Amino acid sequence: MTNSADLVLDGLARRYGSTTAVARMDLTVAAGELVALLGPSGCGKTTTLRMVAGFIEPSEGRILLRGKDITTMPAHQRDTGMVFQSYALFPHLSVAENIAFGLKRRGVPKPEIAQRVARMVALLQLQGLEARLPKQLSGGQQQRVAVGRALVINPAVVLLDEPFSNLDALLREGTRIELRRLQTELGLTTLFVTHDQAEAMAISDRIAVMNKGRLEQLGTPREVYERPATRFVASFIGRANIFVSRDGRSEDGIPLDGPEGTLVLRPERVTLDEAPAEGPNAVAGTVDLLSFLGTGTQAVLRLPGGRQLLVEGPASLADRFHTGGPATARWMRDDLVALPAE
Amino acid sequence: MTSLRSPLGWVLRGMAVLGFIYLLGPLLVIVAASFSDTGYLAFPPQGFSLRWYHAALADARYLTGFFVSLRLAAMVAVLSLIIGTAAAVALTRFAFPGSVLLEALFLSPLVLPALVLAVALTLFFSANPIAPPGMTRLVISHLLVGVPMVLRVMLPVLRRVDPAIEEAARNLGASPTKAFFLVTLPVLRPGLIAAAALAFIFSFDEVEMALFLGSVRDAPLTVVLYGAAQMQMDPTVAAVSSLLILLALLLMVAQQMYANR
Repeated sequence: MTNSADLVLDGLARRYGSTTAVARMDLTVAAGELVALLGPSGCGKTTTLRMVAGFIEPSEGRILLRGKDITTMPAHQRDTGMVFQSYALFPHLSVAENIAFGLKRRGVPKPEIAQRVARMVALLQLQGLEARLPKQLSGGQQQRVAVGRALVINPAVVLLDEPFSNLDALLREGTRIELRRLQTELGLTTLFVTHDQAEAMAISDRIAVMNKGRLEQLGTPREVYERPATRFVASFIGRANIFVSRDGRSEDGIPLDGPEGTLVLRPERVTLDEAPAEGPNAVAGTVDLLSFLGTGTQAVLRLPGGRQLLVEGPASLADRFHTGGPATARWMRDDLVALPAE
Repeated sequence: MTSLRSPLGWVLRGMAVLGFIYLLGPLLVIVAASFSDTGYLAFPPQGFSLRWYHAALADARYLTGFFVSLRLAAMVAVLSLIIGTAAAVALTRFAFPGSVLLEALFLSPLVLPALVLAVALTLFFSANPIAPPGMTRLVISHLLVGVPMVLRVMLPVLRRVDPAIEEAARNLGASPTKAFFLVTLPVLRPGLIAAAALAFIFSFDEVEMALFLGSVRDAPLTVVLYGAAQMQMDPTVAAVSSLLILLALLLMVAQQMYANR
C-alpha cells in the first residue's frame, strides 16, 4: 500500500447553536496509519469521530475517504468500521452472528462469510465461543467481538471510540498491544478516540491533541511530548513545569539559562542534590512530598517563591532525601523547551 | 444456602403450599362447582355432570360475549402497544422540558379505580354531542389504562437497551429501516409481547367500564357473566368461568414456552 491519504478532514466543524463542539479541523490520516484524537472530555474528539461515522452532520467542511467525498453520505453507505465504547453488541445474536452482521449486509456469499468469520474468530482467540450470546461473555471477550465485528468487513477506516475504557487496568494494556499488532499487520487506517494520554502515546503513529473543539497539535508521540506546541499540550501530555522567562529570570525569580518566553521543563529532566544552588538553572527548596512509584521516585520541591517544582528521579531519591528537608534542583540548558509564542 | 431437606426447608415448603392454596383455592372452588349436578352453585359439588358446560356452550349470549371481548381486547392491545411504545421511545430517547412530569401523567390512570374512570367517562360521553358508538367508546376508555400499562413495561425495557446498537447496525451497513427490523425490534420483542398481553388481559377482564359504557347489543363476556351472576347464579356461570381459567392457563403455558425457548 502506498503512503497516500486515506481519510481527510477538511475544515470540519460542528456547532450547536452558539457553542462550537468542533472548530474547523484539518486532519489527514495516511493509509495504514493510526491517529489518536486525544483530549479531555468535551474537547470534541467524539463529535469528530461521529461525524466521520455519519452519525452527526457537520456544520461546515468536508470528509474525504479514499478520495471520495462522504460528507453527506448516510452512515450505512460509508465504509467505516466502528468499535463503540459500550461495544454495542447485538444482545440477541451469537458471537458468530454478531461478527457476520456486516458481511451479510454487504451481500457476501454464505460460504465466504463462514470462512471470514472463522478467520476473525481465530485471529481474536474467540474459538469455542461462536455460539455464545454476548451476555455470556466476559468484558474482554465482548471487547474482542466488537473489534472483530468492525474489522471483518475490511473497512476503509476503523473508528475506535474509547475501546479500552471498560476494561480493568491489567487487561487494558495487553488488549491495546494486541490491537496495535492487529492494526499494523492488517494495515488498517485507524482513528482512535481516547482521553488517556498514556494509551495514545503507547499505540499511535500520530496524536491529534484537542482542547475546547480545537486541534492544538498534531504530531508523533515524541513530538508532542518533547516539542509541545501549546501550554495545554505541555500539561495534558505528561507532567510539566512551566516558566515564563524574561531577561534570564522566571516570573518567580529563578535564574534561567535558556530561551526567552514560555518554557517547559519535564520532571524527569530535573536532578536533585545537596550542594548549594549557584548560577542559573539551579534552585534550592524544601522537599514537600516523596512518592515511590516502583520504577522511580516522584518528588515535589517547594521553592521560596511558593512554586511546586515536579521532579522525577531514580528510586534512590527516596533514600537520599526526606520530606521537610532541603534539596537543590538542577537542569541543563537544553532541557528548557520553548513553546511557540502564543 | 438453606437445604430443602433441613427443618427450615420443610417450613418453607409448607408456606409455599399454603400460599398456592390461598391464591388458587377460589379458582378450584369455581371449577369444582361447575361440575356439580345440582341446579344451584354448590360446594363441595354434589354428583358429577357436564350439563352446565353444555348449557354454557349452547347459550348464544356467552359465545357472542366471548367474541365481543376478544375483538375488544385485541383492538385495545394493538392500539395500546402502538401508542404506549411510541410514548416510551419519546420519553427514553429524547430529553425535553417536562418529560419527567409527562411520564408521571402518563402513568396516573393506573392508580385510579376503574369505577371512577367509568363514571367520569360516562359523564363525558353523555355531555358529548358526537359521542362514538358503544364499541369505539369502550376501546377509547380501555386505552386510558392500556396505554399506561404498556408504558410501564416498555420504559424499563427501553432504558436497558443500549441505544448504540442501532448505530452499530447502521455502521455495519444496515439502512435505518433495516437496523430497526434486524436489531431494535428483535431486542424489544419479549417486552412488546408482555406489554400487549397485559393490555389484552386487562381489557378482556374489565367489568366497570364495560358495564357503564358498553352497548347492550355488543356486551362483552364480563358484562354477560355479571348479569347472569345477579339474575340466576346457576352453575353455568361457573362453567363459563372454568373455561376462561382454562384459556388463561393455556395462554400462560404458551407464553412461558416462548420465553424459555
